[in-house]
Amino acid sequence: MAVSGISRVRRQLPTSPWLFAAPGLLVTGAFVLYPFVSTLVNAFTDRRTLIPGQFVGLANFRELLQDDMFWTGLRNSTLYVLGVVPPLVVLPLLLALLVQKNIPGITFFRSAFYTPVVASIVVVGLIWVWLLDDRGLVNSLLETVGAGRVGFLSDQWLLLLSAMAVTVWKGLGYYMIIYLAALGNVPRELHEAAAVDGAGAVRRFLTVTVPAVRSTMVLVGALSSVAAFKVFSEVYLLAGPSGGPAGEDTTLVMLVQRTGTGLTGRVGYASAISVVVFVVTVALMLLVLRADRKEES
Amino acid sequence: MRISRRAFAAAAVAVLLPLSACGSGGDGGGSSDASGKVEGDITFQTWNLRANFKPYFEGLIAEFEKKYPGTEVKWVDQPAEGYADKISADAAGGTLPDVVNVSPDLVAPLAKAGLALDLDKAAPQYKKEYLPGAWAGHRIPGMTGTYAFPWYLNTGPLFYNKTLFKEAGLDPEKPPKTYDDLFADALTMAGKSGGKVATLANVPTIEDFGRYGVPLMNEEGTAFTFNDAKGVELLTKYKELYDAKALDPQALTATPESSGKKFLTGAVAMNPGSALDLGNFKKQAPSLYKNIGITDQITSTGHVNMYVMGVMVNSQSKRKPAAVAFAHFVTDAAHQMSFAKKVAIFPSTAGSLDDPYFTKEDGTDETRVRVAAAKSLKTAVNYTPVLFSEQMKIALRNEVAKALQGKQSPEEALDNAVKECDRLLQQQG
Repeated sequence: MAVSGISRVRRQLPTSPWLFAAPGLLVTGAFVLYPFVSTLVNAFTDRRTLIPGQFVGLANFRELLQDDMFWTGLRNSTLYVLGVVPPLVVLPLLLALLVQKNIPGITFFRSAFYTPVVASIVVVGLIWVWLLDDRGLVNSLLETVGAGRVGFLSDQWLLLLSAMAVTVWKGLGYYMIIYLAALGNVPRELHEAAAVDGAGAVRRFLTVTVPAVRSTMVLVGALSSVAAFKVFSEVYLLAGPSGGPAGEDTTLVMLVQRTGTGLTGRVGYASAISVVVFVVTVALMLLVLRADRKEES
Repeated sequence: MRISRRAFAAAAVAVLLPLSACGSGGDGGGSSDASGKVEGDITFQTWNLRANFKPYFEGLIAEFEKKYPGTEVKWVDQPAEGYADKISADAAGGTLPDVVNVSPDLVAPLAKAGLALDLDKAAPQYKKEYLPGAWAGHRIPGMTGTYAFPWYLNTGPLFYNKTLFKEAGLDPEKPPKTYDDLFADALTMAGKSGGKVATLANVPTIEDFGRYGVPLMNEEGTAFTFNDAKGVELLTKYKELYDAKALDPQALTATPESSGKKFLTGAVAMNPGSALDLGNFKKQAPSLYKNIGITDQITSTGHVNMYVMGVMVNSQSKRKPAAVAFAHFVTDAAHQMSFAKKVAIFPSTAGSLDDPYFTKEDGTDETRVRVAAAKSLKTAVNYTPVLFSEQMKIALRNEVAKALQGKQSPEEALDNAVKECDRLLQQQG
């Protein structure tokens, strides 16, 4: 009896893990894998929203190369990575060091720094639009101190910089939490030993803290660069649906949305842009990981 | 036997490629025969109307179900934001409601995909009940047929801030009527305020080109023509306004909401709107409300722009007789009139605009706006080409912005805009 019971369990074993994984696999298959494969396939067709497409080979990709707006989008998304990633790697670490200390009232600051992370991006965007408007708070203050108004929302480059500022401000708290966890694992003895050897605060930061959290910095760099390359909401909210003056602030994901949606949307062409976004994103990840490996060796 | 990963991937793509390409989309449309007994369940979709008009539509549906026993209407309302995306998702997924509230530019792609019922074939008996111009409002260039019942019409008034006009030394009782008047007043206002008060908050749209007298498309509807000398002249004038700060510096990225806010705060002197905005001014900017001026849209052709709303019947509907009957019921003269008494819209049915409700003032601002709008509607034109898609609007806007910034001449900008719009038109098929 006992023997047959064991063999029954053995027989059931191979299916059990699949049953446990089934819900997750189903969700991933339906909402990640299928759309991914579908986008990949559509990129090689001339499919539109209401009209099934035909296979067109590399035509969409050839058209991309001729499309000025695609190059504008690629430029802006790349600039976004360059402008947003360095502050998002460094500033949250400094903030984490600050709030790590057990001083009175620090809980308030920890919560305050994290608040932008949980705030709705639409609400955040609207608040920043009010702040940076021609007649907004920032311009009123500038006027009060005698400086002229600055076209934060009407100049192509200032608009992009403003959107970057929103992204950095909103992301600080999130990456700060990641750094806080990493800092908790830095042995206190290392700091004490460095202090005994006469190292000051800056030196201890550079020679103890930074090496200890280096892998976390790589992770933050990888996560923030992928998120920055796929930026949509911040630029869309500040620059409007047309992508800023003359569309000069359009990012690649905004271009995907503009090209592929609506009743006359070009799903095939938008999918081709999405494939480019995917390839660049993977390349960015590989680049960051490779740089990390090189540093390690 | 082992299959290599590469071979597996290639096989997966090979299998999935044709499957996906054969995905959703119209299949050429259903029959246009809508005869038969009016019965069964149908779905009716409106465009952001539930919040303000729930009792009206519930009453309307109850009345229809009473008139046609055996019918049941399920009413769904979609928010204004992303309405076109919702329709396109439904259309692509085969879940488009039986009766849909649409505008002409939404009908065009649906009709081309065979999803809109041709009413000239399915319900020609109703044609005479509507204003001829309104019935023609849902015809698509390059296609025969009419693809939606005309519903309500609108022509937004233009609001202006009398205080700002007075401060600029302009007569607040004589607002600009034509584009030439507008340009002159705007330059005066910008000059007097040292560039602090702009007259307009938006770059010119396709309707502005139409009202300036620019031919927008060729007669066949196969190519855009707004890059002619008249179009270049309009854009050149706007460039002068932009340089003089008579056009708000943020106009290049403005949305209707942002320009409305600028008008509320007194940063711009004129803004288009609707009678509904009066209540908004009263609540949010009482001092502006006291000095609000109301005038017709600026036009140099003598005809203002008319916005047409329609009710389309899904050609794939399984209950076509009921769907057509309900679409007609919603848009017939009696119901359009009762709806017009609830909100500042205007019926598209023949003779309705001659009703005293639209011709006699009682001294209030509301009736003044209503009577003036009804009068201008009689000669109004729907300038927006039905084939002018969202992508085309953005293409025009971006080229106009480049001209205003001085990155290219107005002529180059309009040539580029026409070229891009023609390309998009060709792609629409």
